[in-house]
Amino acid sequence: MDLWSYIPQLLFSGLTIGAIYALVALGFVTISRASQIINFAQGEFVMLGGVITYFLLNGAKLPYPLAALIAILIVMLIGFAMHLSILYPLRKASVLILIMATLGASIFLSSTSGLVFGTLPKTLPPFSGGEPLRIGKISFPSQSLWVLLSTFILLIFLYLLSHRTLLGKAMEASSTDPLGADLLGISRNLMVFLAFGVSAGVGAFGGILITPVFFTSYSSGALLGLKGFIAAVLGGWGKNTGAILGGFVLGIVESLSLAFIPSGYKDGVAFVILLFILYFRPKGILGSPFIDSRRW
Amino acid sequence: MIVWENMSSQTAKAPQTRFRKRDLFYLMPLWLISLIAPDPYLYHKKEFKKKELFYLAAICFAPLIWSDSHFHHLMVLAGIYAILALGLSLFMGYAGQISLGHAAFFGIGAYTTAILTTRYAVPTFLAFWASALSAALIAHLIGRPILKLKGYFLALATLGFGEIFLVIVRESTSLTGGVIGIFGIPWFSVMGFSFDTYLKQYYLAWGMVTGLFIFSKNLVRSKVGRALLAVGASEDAASSVGINVSKTKLEIFDLGAAFAGWAGSLFACIMSTASPEAFSLGFTILIVMMVILGGMGNLYGPIAGAILLTWLMDILSKYQEYSLPVYSVILILLLIFFPDGVGTRLNVRIIYLIGYWAKKKKRDKGKL
Amino acid sequence: MALLSTEEIIKEYDGIRALDRISLKVEKGSIKGLIGPNGAGKSTLFHLISGVEKPDSGKIYFKGKEIRFLEPHERSALGIGRTFQTLQVWGNMTVVENIMAGMNRRLKGGYLSCGLRFPWIRKSENEVLKEAKEILDSLGLLGKWESLASQLPYGKQKLLELGRALAMKPELLLLDEPASGLTLAEIEQLSQHITKVRQEGVTVFIVEHHMGMVMEIADEIAVLHNGELIAEGRPEAVRMNPRVIEAYLTRRGGK
Repeated sequence: MDLWSYIPQLLFSGLTIGAIYALVALGFVTISRASQIINFAQGEFVMLGGVITYFLLNGAKLPYPLAALIAILIVMLIGFAMHLSILYPLRKASVLILIMATLGASIFLSSTSGLVFGTLPKTLPPFSGGEPLRIGKISFPSQSLWVLLSTFILLIFLYLLSHRTLLGKAMEASSTDPLGADLLGISRNLMVFLAFGVSAGVGAFGGILITPVFFTSYSSGALLGLKGFIAAVLGGWGKNTGAILGGFVLGIVESLSLAFIPSGYKDGVAFVILLFILYFRPKGILGSPFIDSRRW
Repeated sequence: MIVWENMSSQTAKAPQTRFRKRDLFYLMPLWLISLIAPDPYLYHKKEFKKKELFYLAAICFAPLIWSDSHFHHLMVLAGIYAILALGLSLFMGYAGQISLGHAAFFGIGAYTTAILTTRYAVPTFLAFWASALSAALIAHLIGRPILKLKGYFLALATLGFGEIFLVIVRESTSLTGGVIGIFGIPWFSVMGFSFDTYLKQYYLAWGMVTGLFIFSKNLVRSKVGRALLAVGASEDAASSVGINVSKTKLEIFDLGAAFAGWAGSLFACIMSTASPEAFSLGFTILIVMMVILGGMGNLYGPIAGAILLTWLMDILSKYQEYSLPVYSVILILLLIFFPDGVGTRLNVRIIYLIGYWAKKKKRDKGKL
Repeated sequence: MALLSTEEIIKEYDGIRALDRISLKVEKGSIKGLIGPNGAGKSTLFHLISGVEKPDSGKIYFKGKEIRFLEPHERSALGIGRTFQTLQVWGNMTVVENIMAGMNRRLKGGYLSCGLRFPWIRKSENEVLKEAKEILDSLGLLGKWESLASQLPYGKQKLLELGRALAMKPELLLLDEPASGLTLAEIEQLSQHITKVRQEGVTVFIVEHHMGMVMEIADEIAVLHNGELIAEGRPEAVRMNPRVIEAYLTRRGGK
């Protein structure tokens, strides 16, 4: 009785966080399609988006939209730097070394962020005032609408980028058939480089969207990154649509689980889902097997 | 100079340099490290080398030479991590798998000992064995489905398992004391002899390391070791000669977990507390780095890696909040420059570097 | 009774029939060749026999037993050994250890006995080492017995793979393009080894592109084309078979 009345509420917050998971998952898929690398530092881009915007807003006293934009650009630069300094030298290394390197990068980014920006959780002002909206019995922060709307717009933007622009098509080509694209003059390394920037930007965008609703602190990146990855696997590894679907599904399931299990276990839900998926259907919901083209 | 000796046996021509005293200072510690972590491609030589006696003697006498208690404490930790890394190295370096959740087995061992000794007054010696058993049991249960996966998926699944373990530990406060953990674990004791000082714990830990090292060495030189290497290099070929690949992987996973369980038990008895923060992903990363940095595919590697990284962590801890950023940068640099281990062909690399540096100086001088 | 026989094997990949109702027999003590243009399905058939893949339908009999549902290592235990088209030598072990690992199935001992190195383990290791060295000697690889397998030249690695397959004393040996990448002298050596192996009682089933070698050593040849068995018989007969000639000379996939 009482439980069920929470469901719509949980559903909605699930959608909200699901949108963020979808963005993080999208970031993962972008990089891994271009380079068969899984970037465990993806969650840090999200965290940095929120934290840097906070810093620019409150420290440098920039107007909100400008702060957000600059923050996204800075995080994109960090993504580029990460590629150049870590992943380009290691482009021929084994899977294990790559995993450890991206994990190392994740530690570096989160600890440096704690160092530079402080360890207190940060929050940003919601885009349109602080009053929660009400539909029927459900009240939700207006920010959630912004999250969903912005995610939708971003997805359309990314779709147009990858299908209508030459650059986007080049990136798609490079990820589908690296050798073929190489023969056509598309530099694989350049595509991977750009993929890092795009993922970083997408992640930062997500971070800015979500910080008003859930606080962001230097350590929130790690868990977010892992959950985003789980979302990508859940939805169907290797596909953009899979990442988005997985993100929303994960967000909703995780949120709904709060109705049934003690809140402390919430973070474990994602990992249980992960183990289930890997065991029963590693291809994910939309299913496309993870073909490691480097190894062939 | 012994450096020149090695060089003449391994490279064709000697670089034309003049050796200054300064170079000695830089080279000595590097050369010492290269002694510790020998070229992994020579691992298969079966004779009992003089080197091993030297290491054994070093381990026996080191704490008596440096009787600083901080050194002892550090080496105790290094010993425990060495046990952990040894087990993991059999799984990762030999059988070629990936485990990013090994800290969980360490934690299972620690908590088993903690719970048994504090709540049920089980003697530590028995709890010690129970810890390894429980870790191996859980590994066996989750190993069956997980080990079918490969590469990134295996890494992710083990990572997921590690995180689930942490969540469960943090939440089941009645069993594990939640975030605070369990206190008051007694010292490790065998038949009345209790290991209560760092010195005694040092010998306990390193005695275990030596014993497990000999055990592992025997394994590696036998059909078991060959099966592991076969599975690591080519699973199809391994099954074509009759090796049961999934059973092999599961067995070594269990053994690695058992090692971790033992290590965890010792850890609990030495720290007297068990709390979840010690068993997080960051710790797993540390152990995996020990295995990688020592050089995969040999048994000295994880031990050397454990010593190296424990010292590194100690040095870095002096820098407080800068420790993690610096640590991560060092890790990444080590991965880029020494992906097959710090000691691998280190002597050759040093020679190469000297030669390069000397030639560069000559070139620069020539330009002036 | 034939040592190995397949009945109506069908294997499809994404709707394309890689193998279409293949039924063939390999007689004990013979050398049977399997030839066909690239992509005809030869390696696929080997994968099905050795257990790496499972057929969609059909039966496989080895020594009278249906082996379709057995795991690869169980099939090896029954006596099927193989080499691989993509060389799968264990580069992380020494040459002699590769052979010794091939004998694993015949050794006793588990974790406890090996880890504690009981005396009978030590004895068994010495015996295994001796036998492995003998095998290496018969293949001419004894000189490099202690070097890392990945440091051998390519031709020697192929011989090593053969040696490893022989080490488990198989009854049926599946050789997947053993001559690829070898020089003429090495191919000659390989042929001699294979005939010697047959003299010792091992049945050989060999996939090969090198026509000269196959025609010379095989007792019987089967020809695959586009997943179909288009000819089977003695080498001279197969050589003259018009369908076989057409399959090799024309590139079209038509029947």
